[in-house]
Amino acid sequence: MSVDILRTTEGIEQHKPLMNEGIGVAAEQTESTKVARNSGPRKSPSAPNFHEKTYAGHSMSEPTLLRNCNGDNLLNLGDNLSFNDRDANLSVINLYDDEVISRQMDDFEDNNDEDSQQNVDSDEGNTPTMSMLQNNCNGSETEHLDRYGFKKQNNFITVEEYNKWWKDYSQYCIRRKHKWKLLLAKSGLPMDNDSPNRFPSRSEKLKRYVRKGIPAEWRGNAWWYFARGQEKLTKNKGLYDKLLQKMDDLLKKKKKKKPMQDLDIIERDLNRTFPDNIHFQRETFQLDEPPMIKSLRRVLVAFSLYNPKIGYCQSMNFLAGLLLLFMDEEKAFWMLVIITSRYLPGVHNVNLEGVNVDQGVLMLCVKEYLPEIWPFIAPLHKRSPINLGNSKYNFGKNEFLYRLPPITLCTASWFMSCFVGVLPIETTLRVWDCLFYEESHFLFKASLAILKLSEQTLLKNRPQRVLRHYSLSNGNYHSKDLRINQDESEMEVFQVIQSFPKHLINPNDIFDKVIFKKRVALNRLDQDEIDRCRKYVTTQRQRYKNYNEIVGSNLHHDDDEINDSNAQKNDLLSNGPQDYGSINNENNEEQISGAASDMKVNSNNRIGNDLVNNALSSEVYGFKKSLSGVHWNNSIKEKVRQMRKKRGKDDDVLL
Amino acid sequence: MFQFKLVLLGDSSVGKSSIVHRFVKDSFDDFRESTIGAAFLSQTIKIRDTSSDSTEDTVIKFEIWDTAGQERYKSLAPMYYRNANAALVVYDITQQDSLSKAQNWVNELKNKVGDEDLIICLLGNKLDLCDSSDNGDKRAVMTDEAKVYAEEQDLLFYEVSAKTGQGVKDVFQSIGEKLYQIKKEEMLSKKGRQAASAKDSVNVKLQRPSTNDPTSCCY
Ligand SMILES: Nc1nc2c(ncn2[C@@H]2O[C@H](COP(=O)(O)OP(=O)(O)OP(=O)(O)O)[C@@H](O)[C@H]2O)c(=O)[nH]1
Ligand SMILES: [Mg+2]
Repeated sequence: MSVDILRTTEGIEQHKPLMNEGIGVAAEQTESTKVARNSGPRKSPSAPNFHEKTYAGHSMSEPTLLRNCNGDNLLNLGDNLSFNDRDANLSVINLYDDEVISRQMDDFEDNNDEDSQQNVDSDEGNTPTMSMLQNNCNGSETEHLDRYGFKKQNNFITVEEYNKWWKDYSQYCIRRKHKWKLLLAKSGLPMDNDSPNRFPSRSEKLKRYVRKGIPAEWRGNAWWYFARGQEKLTKNKGLYDKLLQKMDDLLKKKKKKKPMQDLDIIERDLNRTFPDNIHFQRETFQLDEPPMIKSLRRVLVAFSLYNPKIGYCQSMNFLAGLLLLFMDEEKAFWMLVIITSRYLPGVHNVNLEGVNVDQGVLMLCVKEYLPEIWPFIAPLHKRSPINLGNSKYNFGKNEFLYRLPPITLCTASWFMSCFVGVLPIETTLRVWDCLFYEESHFLFKASLAILKLSEQTLLKNRPQRVLRHYSLSNGNYHSKDLRINQDESEMEVFQVIQSFPKHLINPNDIFDKVIFKKRVALNRLDQDEIDRCRKYVTTQRQRYKNYNEIVGSNLHHDDDEINDSNAQKNDLLSNGPQDYGSINNENNEEQISGAASDMKVNSNNRIGNDLVNNALSSEVYGFKKSLSGVHWNNSIKEKVRQMRKKRGKDDDVLL
Repeated sequence: MFQFKLVLLGDSSVGKSSIVHRFVKDSFDDFRESTIGAAFLSQTIKIRDTSSDSTEDTVIKFEIWDTAGQERYKSLAPMYYRNANAALVVYDITQQDSLSKAQNWVNELKNKVGDEDLIICLLGNKLDLCDSSDNGDKRAVMTDEAKVYAEEQDLLFYEVSAKTGQGVKDVFQSIGEKLYQIKKEEMLSKKGRQAASAKDSVNVKLQRPSTNDPTSCCY
């Protein structure tokens, strides 16, 4: 079987494929071509060919594909391909195991009208076709790998669990792909040898299709298309080559001079990117590094030269790595540019402010959309009020935007790596599908969905925390106990949130259980909301920062006040319970700005005073409300719902 | 059972995650994914209190924060070492640069945490690469250089290998014992004081001080 079918893409002839390895890195070129020659025709590693076969092209009666093997050996990679060419097969992926099914599907799926809304919440898995499945199997060394070359097994999922899930999910993928094909045909778009590079124009229907998953072998093209990659590339023709040239020069100099910081860190991360993926692994007998690692180096170094403001930030190795599994190097580079500028602005910057802003936004969204989750992550006590003269200043209700709750240390990595390594691979890819179609707000939606799904686990592990949260306002606690218990429960919540996403093997869980549910109301959250929210949090954080700087310098004048390191603690104690746990308390705004005007004003802090007022009188962010204009408080909604639940009238049980 | 919070700090790629995995799972991978943000793990050890008559072991649970080493993640660090009982500051014996990074961390801990009870341990990793019998000795930081520094700064000091496991358990064991000792003294003095004043409402000293750094973005 030929393994040389390559996707053609407009305008990038030069870089396609990396078939000849090493673009522009002269030093490496000779060496790697040698290796390429030695190991026979190696397929482009940077673009695993998912569409070696088009399953529509096989007739149902083809007998070799209908070997039945009791279903326990479903997931072989490259099963249907020539077995004497293992090496090449590694990147040639049999996506669905059984390519015959789609033919059988035709009759069934045609009657199943995608456009009818009722289909949205229905379980895709319960179709009669499931029973018709036949599976082919045969032993293979790559059995333990999934269709992208990742190990199926990890600390969170066993091979058995994986296989069991994949058995259904692969069929789901076949059905979805079939629908995509119909959609493309209907839109008059060419399939181009199962590698379409144009897609229908934006519509609710297309959005739904994307949310249900882009066919894996189309992903590279689809992402590129939805993210408008070609636009970027056309505007910057030849730039990637220039960057590589620059990199080449740098590397030559490197031997003489001290290497660039970024280059060093990139180097350290190359082998720590997807060590579980066959395309990134260096075999012990291989002298040369895998071509994929070389591509990764080039993309990351080129990026650090292209955008020195970001340079290289750990986590970008995972972004680039995943892109390289689906598209060639130059495209991967431009997609990285697009991700880091359009979808995650500032997130990877040297000061990481962008990621902090996004965590603030996420926290606001949790408060708004998941009030039942908020108590788990809200800071239990506010930092001790700042002591100035005789007055005490509390940051308003928005303090958590500046002093982010500890859980954000975990969620920050969700954003930095766009869930790569956080969610299982299929689920990650689904989020990426939506990210490129729906833009960055989808990352927030996905985060909220994950948090929502983790609710049961959170409750199971520590219901006390929530109770404590509410009981605090009643004020029976000892400061020390509080502090220690708080640390402890923070850890527990952290642990749940850290490991929970790793179990979300089925991408549909996020959608069927949360995002498609009207009740969770997440659909109100759109890109516009996130854009506004980001602006708001950015200014809030800036204000707090200014405030802190001013107050900080004030404190230095007030030596006797702060040099007593216990001042804050005493403060904490003497202030009593009323300062704590009033996160949902909406009435303290005036008190605070009132207090601010009492401030002992030094001659030099006029501006400071303004800033303080500015910071303290911070308006609360107003989320867009539903059409009715009735300002339903979400926590009331929640209460009503629970009351209803109690009465057993709520049949729509979550999860 | 006692619980202690421990944080690992140090330059990227010095082997922080590898050390934690050796301690928690007793395994090593040549290539492990680089850490984004931080990871939280826990592990218990047993220690025997030789001074008490009890023959029972005391269980100590470590709550471990493994942080990302790249410079730009540094701004998040205060959140991790806040309330920490111990800090493992790791460097790579084969990288001179990583020792000076470690020294920066020690300074930061001393300035920002400023707690005499915080145990700081300087840890040189990748000892397996420094086998001088083999021609391939890659050592770049002499044991004495680090040792002298550690003594000056009053730090614990070890050289270990996450790869072979050499010394890793001992590090946690001795930190555990030290922390237990401190805890015991704390409890004794607390009892003493409680006897003195029947109602000693809150004992501030027992609390681990938080970092009082208003510029840290998080807390
Ligand atoms: N030979 C040897 N290699 C080690 C040892 N410990 C770690 N390594 C290797 O050093 C590299 C980095 O190790 P990590 O544990 O990922 O480093 P880290 O400090 O967690 O790095 P960041 O997560 O980027 O902060 C890996 O490739 C390890 O295999 C050791 O004891 N001996
Ligand atoms: Mg690490």
